[in-house]
Amino acid sequence: MNHEAQSADKCIACSSCTVCCPVAEATREYVGPKMAGPVMDRFRRPGQQNDVTFEYCSNCKNCDITCPSGVSVSTLNMLAKNEYYKTHRHTVQDWLLSHIETLAKIASPIAALANLGRDNPLSALILEKLGVVTSMPMPKFASRTFLQEFKRLKQQSYPDKVVFFPGCFISYNAPQVGLDLVAVMQANRHEVIVPDSFKCCGSPLVVNGYMDDARKNAEHNLKELKKWTDQGYPIITCCTSCGLMIKQEYQELFEIPGNKEVAAKIYDAQEYLLELMDAGKLNTAFSPVEGRYLYHAPCHLRVQGMGRPAVELLRLVPKLEIVEANAGCCGLSGNYGFKTDKLPIA
Amino acid sequence: MRQYDVIVIGGGLAGLLAAAAARKSADKVLVLQKGVGAIAVGGGSIDVLGYGTDGRLLPGPQAGLAMLTAPEHPYSKIGACLVAEGLYFFSELTAKAGYPYGGSLSTRGWLVTALGTLKPSAFFPRSMDASALGTAPEIAVLGFNEMKDFYPELVVQGLKQRLGTNKKYRIIRIPSGLAAGRDVNSLDIARNLDHPANRQALALQLKRTLPAGTAIVLPPVLGTKPDYEALIQLEQETGCVFIEAAGLPPAVTGLRLQSLLINHLRDEGVEIMEQADVTGALVEDGVCRAVYTDNFDRRRTYGARAFVLATGGFYGGGLLAGIETVTEPIFHLPVRTAPRDEWGSESLLPEDGQPFAKTGIAVDASLRPVNAAGDIQLNNLYIAGRNLAGYDNCMEKSGNGVAVASGYYAGKLAGEVRA
Repeated sequence: MNHEAQSADKCIACSSCTVCCPVAEATREYVGPKMAGPVMDRFRRPGQQNDVTFEYCSNCKNCDITCPSGVSVSTLNMLAKNEYYKTHRHTVQDWLLSHIETLAKIASPIAALANLGRDNPLSALILEKLGVVTSMPMPKFASRTFLQEFKRLKQQSYPDKVVFFPGCFISYNAPQVGLDLVAVMQANRHEVIVPDSFKCCGSPLVVNGYMDDARKNAEHNLKELKKWTDQGYPIITCCTSCGLMIKQEYQELFEIPGNKEVAAKIYDAQEYLLELMDAGKLNTAFSPVEGRYLYHAPCHLRVQGMGRPAVELLRLVPKLEIVEANAGCCGLSGNYGFKTDKLPIA
Repeated sequence: MRQYDVIVIGGGLAGLLAAAAARKSADKVLVLQKGVGAIAVGGGSIDVLGYGTDGRLLPGPQAGLAMLTAPEHPYSKIGACLVAEGLYFFSELTAKAGYPYGGSLSTRGWLVTALGTLKPSAFFPRSMDASALGTAPEIAVLGFNEMKDFYPELVVQGLKQRLGTNKKYRIIRIPSGLAAGRDVNSLDIARNLDHPANRQALALQLKRTLPAGTAIVLPPVLGTKPDYEALIQLEQETGCVFIEAAGLPPAVTGLRLQSLLINHLRDEGVEIMEQADVTGALVEDGVCRAVYTDNFDRRRTYGARAFVLATGGFYGGGLLAGIETVTEPIFHLPVRTAPRDEWGSESLLPEDGQPFAKTGIAVDASLRPVNAAGDIQLNNLYIAGRNLAGYDNCMEKSGNGVAVASGYYAGKLAGEVRA
């Protein structure tokens, strides 16, 4: 565990985090990040963890964004959750929503059947009983995984190569996003490598208190990523939560040798393209796109301290008008909004 | 390296004002902020100068500025004319945003605090204007049952001491309607009063017990957004005057100002980069070329023609106190302090201020950092806000006034720098 993350004593109790916490705004049942994080942290003893205030925290990280004193408030909550589940049992709901990769590996080969199996009234009843929301459309499993689709692609080879970490959502639910990234990189004279050895980044595991499972994934992923970064390949992510996890949360939660060196090579896809632009290498032969589009900046992007690279990039497209939503947290926070008890807050 | 015209380091009042001022003459302005700044910790009022160094109450902001003799004070460096220009810039900005601040430079305004004390100020939300306390025949102090941090008895006791016992004082306590869950603070109630129906219900309750014309002192709860909708509705429906007291953090009045400024900057196309922890600068031949942030992944570098350093004082992390010395962590600028054994005065609230409070970066008349000999340290770096040397905002009541004046001037100068 990284001791820098255990930063409760840096808190000066200014309450800025509680003001900006979207969960605290939505429900008065949550004591707020200041109390749940740094304040409660002083009363927690290993093995004697009984308070569950952290259950309200969705790990959206608005507290970290707000804190003027550099406290990783949300990480304190995640660490407390980990302590708690060392001596308490998880619910089936938690297991289901955090082990999406395991489920997807079973479901993907039979995606049509799995989607049907999940979307029928009987399954809905069972899922509701287990505390999983079914009134919202759940992302469907794609009939072919991203890796399967990717292997069919014929790429032009270029000396500039990047490794793509697709993450679970692109792998099993939205492979088209990954295929689009490959097309964009090809248009910018880059070849994309997608190893089949990556596992789930661990973000849904951490937020549901499966820290040991998350650590195993972190150790595995860092070992695999390091093989590429040692050879000088940049790593690209499209999912801001995967990017945040590998760059930052692995370092905050675990102490795995070589993490910092790997993190230094991980790029959000948009930021990577902006860097190409700065170097005069971005293919800017954009076709005009008529229309006004709303851009919503994910919290897990905002906390990374790189601004909103997508906005800068989209402004290069002729005729395209980009309006920033400035809507704050979307509320869903990965799987938080899919929990029946959290749906009203989300 | 990303290239900008002006980079402002710090997202507090001085930094945001600097960005707004710079944007008038520069296209690409970037604010790098770590955390949200302290606007919502303070109450959002712009106190310019309430008391002289001898502790004497000054006749008004402008007259006070004219009487200021300390050459090291930021106001003296900027000059009264430009201080006024900055304050008017701020005042106009609030008007354009639909949340016009009250007050002026020529007359002293008064605010009431949660302790029932009165505080001299210059510009403040209309809902904080306490002048009606002098004229209203009846004063009611409104508290919410479950809310900590605001005790009507304490406020009445304080007001009686200051305004005399001839007036009729009344205490009203009503349920907040928020009994369940965590402790109730002013922000919870303000969020409730964002809804017109809840305001109407409150107005009905007050109307039953209070005659029209009563001055009602209450915690800062009249909505979270930078507008006067809650104030106007309550005034119209009760015929009373509402006065929001300056209270403890989270200060809703400060929060409104923060939203107003951030909305303004976004409309103006100023980029605000969150969680950007500036740790150092690239300096060549007395000119700053770029600053860099250090994140969990890697260092990022941002270049500009001119920079504003508005990182705050001890509270904001712009100044770091060690055992023997005070340092400025980004540019390692010289910091002017009293000799070590004179940092603190034995009296807690000495009239001429605590010496440590005057610790900060010494500047020239253009707010550029200078050393003890007066040599300019960096030609294109301007200092604004609480990291400036030579003033004790706490004792003289200049909080936010120096931030606005120096933020405006620093931003204006930075925006005018050409390659």
